[in-house]
Parts: sequence; structure tokens; C-alpha cells
Amino acid sequence: MPALTFTNVSKTFGDNTVINAFSADIHDGEFLVLLGPSGCGKSTLLRMIAGLSDITSGDLLFNGDIANDWEPKKRGVAFVFQTYALYPHMTVRENIAFPLIMDAFRKWYHLPIVNIVARHRLMRRPDIAERTLRIAQQLELESLLDRRPASLSGGQRQRVALARALVRNPSLYLLDEPLSNLDAKLRTQMRSEISALHHKVGKTFVYVTHDQVEAMTMASRIIVMNKGIVQQVDTPDEIYDRPANTFVARFVGSPPMNLIAASVGDKGLKLSGKLAVEHGTALPSQREVTFGIRPEKLSLHAAGEGRLPARVTVVERLGAETVIGCRLLTGEDDQSGRLLETDLVFVRVSGNPKMQIGEPCSLDYRAEDVLWFDVDTGQRLS
Amino acid sequence: MSFNKLTLKFLRYLLIGVLVVLAGFPVYWMAATALSLNSELYGTGQVVWPQPQNFPELMLELGQVPIGLWLFNTLLIAAGGTVLSLTLGSLAGYALSRFRFHGKGVVGFLLFMTQVVPEALILVPLYAMFITFGLLNSLTGLVLANVGFSLPVACFVLKGAMDAVPYEIEESAIIDNCPRFSVLTMIILPLIMPSIAAAAVVAFFAGWNEFLFASTFLMDRGNWPASVGLASFVGQYETPMSAVMGAALVFSLPAIVFFLLIQRKIVAGLTAGAVKG
Ligand SMILES: Nc1ncnc2c1ncn2[C@@H]1O[C@H](COP(=O)(O)OP(=O)(O)OP(=O)(O)O)[C@@H](O)[C@H]1O
Ligand SMILES: [Mg+2]
Repeated sequence: MPALTFTNVSKTFGDNTVINAFSADIHDGEFLVLLGPSGCGKSTLLRMIAGLSDITSGDLLFNGDIANDWEPKKRGVAFVFQTYALYPHMTVRENIAFPLIMDAFRKWYHLPIVNIVARHRLMRRPDIAERTLRIAQQLELESLLDRRPASLSGGQRQRVALARALVRNPSLYLLDEPLSNLDAKLRTQMRSEISALHHKVGKTFVYVTHDQVEAMTMASRIIVMNKGIVQQVDTPDEIYDRPANTFVARFVGSPPMNLIAASVGDKGLKLSGKLAVEHGTALPSQREVTFGIRPEKLSLHAAGEGRLPARVTVVERLGAETVIGCRLLTGEDDQSGRLLETDLVFVRVSGNPKMQIGEPCSLDYRAEDVLWFDVDTGQRLS
Repeated sequence: MSFNKLTLKFLRYLLIGVLVVLAGFPVYWMAATALSLNSELYGTGQVVWPQPQNFPELMLELGQVPIGLWLFNTLLIAAGGTVLSLTLGSLAGYALSRFRFHGKGVVGFLLFMTQVVPEALILVPLYAMFITFGLLNSLTGLVLANVGFSLPVACFVLKGAMDAVPYEIEESAIIDNCPRFSVLTMIILPLIMPSIAAAAVVAFFAGWNEFLFASTFLMDRGNWPASVGLASFVGQYETPMSAVMGAALVFSLPAIVFFLLIQRKIVAGLTAGAVKG
């Protein structure tokens, strides 16, 4: 049975529909990544899972039980807020220990004044102190334990927020862009910490990000969203290799997948309207299609050697590899040298192939690497 | 330091000096009058300087009234009103700040109306009510009457402060298994300490200075607060001016101490660092 099931879940703020008929299963113990551009409703979805936002329509099921109206407490989740939401008046240590202390609270500890004493005593309880310290060490926070959030940097605050969520033992972890504010090195490190934790505890993780490296490396499955609508739910490999539509194709991958307008006629394939190409294998039956190919699936050749004549327009050297932006030479206005960088075809090659801007070259591809998309709907043609 | 900077500094201190004199003079004059003899005040004219040699005379005069008891009553009234206003005010302020409920606008309006209605207007109806409830001539009744006016202020001040606390801090506490009531006591209230202190000052001084209700509802001399006691010095035929001023001085001191204690709490900035940005 899936840990979480969404059936046609929608969320509207006034007339603004933020989540539109969202349906998906989240399996027990999986690492699910919610991927999508800013404002597409990722945080809203997470808040609905946690019980912090009402569901406008549809059902949310926890282990098969409708949980739309469950209190957050009953859901037993840990949450890393995108805005951290640390307790400003508590030290880092108290912040991290807070969920543990609340779990250890008896009813009458909540009385005013009593709660101060109770919190103080519980902070010293060996198991709580030890667990707080251990998670702090894991996230490199030991030296900050006695500081308050106001005196921390953004990345340090974010790690405190992460520590506060990871210190508990919930059945479901909800993480809203928990690594967005860290530097590249720390981010890589935290990524593996979180992955390791997921393997260790074996609980369900729902992880929001718009960083596709995080999504690709950590996820067991990815849900790609756009404007509150699910675009594709699949494993990272499937999402990358067989994107359901042009949005997914362009959103996942950097540089994004090359999408070129193509027409299929009696005489074969024409790219960008004019460039006739000998494609080889079977062509789609539609006349107007979109031709999609990943930048690393294109190969770069000297002018005349490949099937697609082109001219180098952009060269981005990344060290181990180079991304080269080319303009296809379709016959007309080849010499005009437009500066516009739209419609560029990107090629990713390893090493540094000493290309000059303006240099003519040619590209080639293997027919089986091409994906076809419908021009109007953007859906991939099978 | 350049000449300009020096001049600026001098002007600044001069301005502060003038303000200090303006604010301090009445207090000084109170002390000077208290240490004068009534014969001087009503005959030869007041000596401008305080005359410490008249201190025993002042003590003798003050000794004739239960000034300690009056002060204690004032303290009970002020402290009781403060505690009650803050407790109820933080609960009501939280509800107004965080919950949507029917009649929320009406509640806000009614709370505001209490500040518009003059106390004198409801004096008689309140008197009649207090007879019915047997609250006349009791400090409890007086505290309740005062709270009627200071609670709305406390409520508004605290609501405003709670509005500024990000929702997510609270939601985070709820996720961490903290019940609503504890969210208020453990998370929200510590964060709005400056506003609580400000509301406490308002409520405390409202009770401390209150005269109209006290003089109407309290008949027993032993129940009087210092404000009513002070006024009782004013006789039809004579007013012992130096004793009045002496008592007034004693009356102001605890209030000043209270303010000094609490004023350092009235500093903002605790919420910084809770959320991004
Ligand atoms: N309380 C609210 N009232 C009205 N509109 C809201 C509210 N919360 C969110 N929205 C709207 O819902 C949409 C989705 O917001 P959400 O925070 O879920 O985006 P997101 O995917 O998390 O984006 P980001 O990656 O930038 O965090 C936005 O257009 C936002 O303006
Ligand atoms: Mg978000």
C-alpha cells in the first residue's frame, strides 16, 4: 500500500488555482523528489501533506486512510521549511532539541512556568542531549550550539532547520529546498548525508527542489510539476531519457534538450523548415513535429563531415567538458550573423575542442537518440 | 574631530540638557516644596532650594496618614490590573491575530469603543452594577473596572506584535508536536516580550494613577489607593502643601522603579533571524 495517495487534490487561493487535480502515489520508504519551477505549487503541496494548509478538493490518503482533516500531530511528519522557521529566542541546541523535548512532555508540563522548568530539565536528559549533539555533529553545527539563529549565516540556519527535522523519528520527512542556501561543496556533502540517512531509516522522504542535480542524484522517483499540474512521475532515468513532454524535456537537463521544429514530407525530414536531413529510420506519421535531442547525444564534427551544417555561436568551457551553442545553417541568412541566441542547438562534448566563435562546423546524431514531440500538445510521440 | 562635528555635538548636548531640565523641573519643585514649611508656602514665599532641615517636620506630617497602606493598595490595584490585562490580552490578541471567526470585526470594534467612551459616562451605571454584584468598596471590583479599560489596549498592542511573528515559526512548532496553548506560551510570547513590556507599562500606570473609579467605589479609608489618599489632603479650608508634595514624591518613586526595571525589556529585534531575508 502506498504511504501517501493523492486523488485529484486541488488547492485554490481565492480564484487562483495553485494545485490542479494532483494525483499520485508515494510509496512507502521511497525518496520522492518534487521538481518544478518557482511558484508551481511545490511548497503548497508539501504544506497540504503536513496538514498546514487545507485541501480545497480531492483526497489525501495516509496508508489508505483519508487524512484531509487530520491534525498535523496525527500525521507524524518532520518538516524543513523553505524559510527555515527557527525559533529566534532559543539557542541552536534548544532549537534542535525542541521536537525531542515536546515528545517527552507530559500534559501538565505545558502549564505556564512549569514548562520553563520542564524544558530546562529535559534539555539535560542524557538521551536528548546526546541525540542533539550527534545530529549537530553530522551537520557540522557543534561549534554553533550555543548561538541564537539571528547570529548565524543563511547556510548555517538552513542546517539548523535540517537538524531539527532529522533529529526526530517520524514516518514521513518533508523537506522544502533544504539545501538551497549552501555552497557547492557543503551541498554535495549534505546531499550524501541525507541520502545516507534515508537508507538508514528507510522512511518515506518527500523532497522539494528546483535543483535538478539534487533531483537526479537523490530521487528514487521524481514528480515534475508545472503550474500546479503534474507533468511526469517517473524514475530519474526515465525522466531524463524519456521525458513525457517538451516541458519536462527542457526543464530537466542542463543545457536543456534541443528542440527543433521539423516537418516530415514525402522527401523525408526537414529541420527548421528547410534543412533536409537523411534520417534513416522510420519517421513519425505526423507532418509537423518537434525534433528533440539531448546535447550529449549530438556529436561535433568539422564542417561537411556531419549531416547538420552549423556555425559556432557560444562556447562555454566547464573544465571537464565544453558546451557549444551552434546555429544550424538552413540555407538562408547564414551569413547574417544574428546575435540572437534563441534557436541555438547545444552540443556537449568532453574535453576542450578548441572551437572559435563564428567557425563553421557540423553536427551529427544517431537516429535512435531522437525523441519526437507533438507540436501542439508538446507530448512525446511514442 | 573637526570644528563642525564639535559644534554639532555641543548643540546635541545642549538640546538634551534643555529637555532634561524641562522634564526634571516639576520633580525638583515637588521635592523642594515637600521640604518647605507650610508657613513659608502660604506666607513668606517658597525658598527655591530644598531645605533638608525640614525633613523631620515632613515625616511628622506624613505620619498622620496611613500612607504605607495606601501605597500597598495602589500596588495591588496596579499589579492586579496588569496581570489580568496581560493574561487576557495575550489570549484575546492571539485569537484576533491568528483565527478567523464570526464576529471578529464586531469584537475589534467593541474593544475599540471602550477607548472612546469616557470613564465618567459609565461611572453611574458601573456603580449600580457593582452594588448588585457586591463589588462596591472592594479592591477586586476596582481592578475589574480598571481592566475594562486597560485590557483592550493590551489586547491591541499584543495582537499587533503577534501579527508580525511569521506564521511559519508557529507552524514549525505545531509540526514539532507543540500544542496550541504552548505555542502561545513558549514561542509567541517570548518573541513579543518588548510589546508585552509596553502593554505592562500602560496597564500598570493606568491602575497606578487611576482616581475617578477609586474615589467613587471605595468608601473605606483603609481601602484607598494613594491617589485618593493624596486628594484627601486637600481640605476645604487648608491644604498642607508640603505634605501633599511629600506624599506625591513617595507615590512616584515605586512607579519610577517599575519603569526603570521594565524599560530595558522594551527593545525590539528579537524576531530577527527567524526566517530568511
Ligand atoms: N497563502 C497564499 N495565498 C495566496 N496565494 C498563495 C499563498 N501561498 C502560495 N500562494 C501562491 O501559490 C503559488 C505556489 O506557491 P508555492 O509556494 O507552492 O510555490 P513553490 O513551488 O514552492 O515555489 P518556490 O520554488 O519559489 O518556493 C504561487 O503562485 C503563490 O503566489
Ligand atoms: Mg516553495
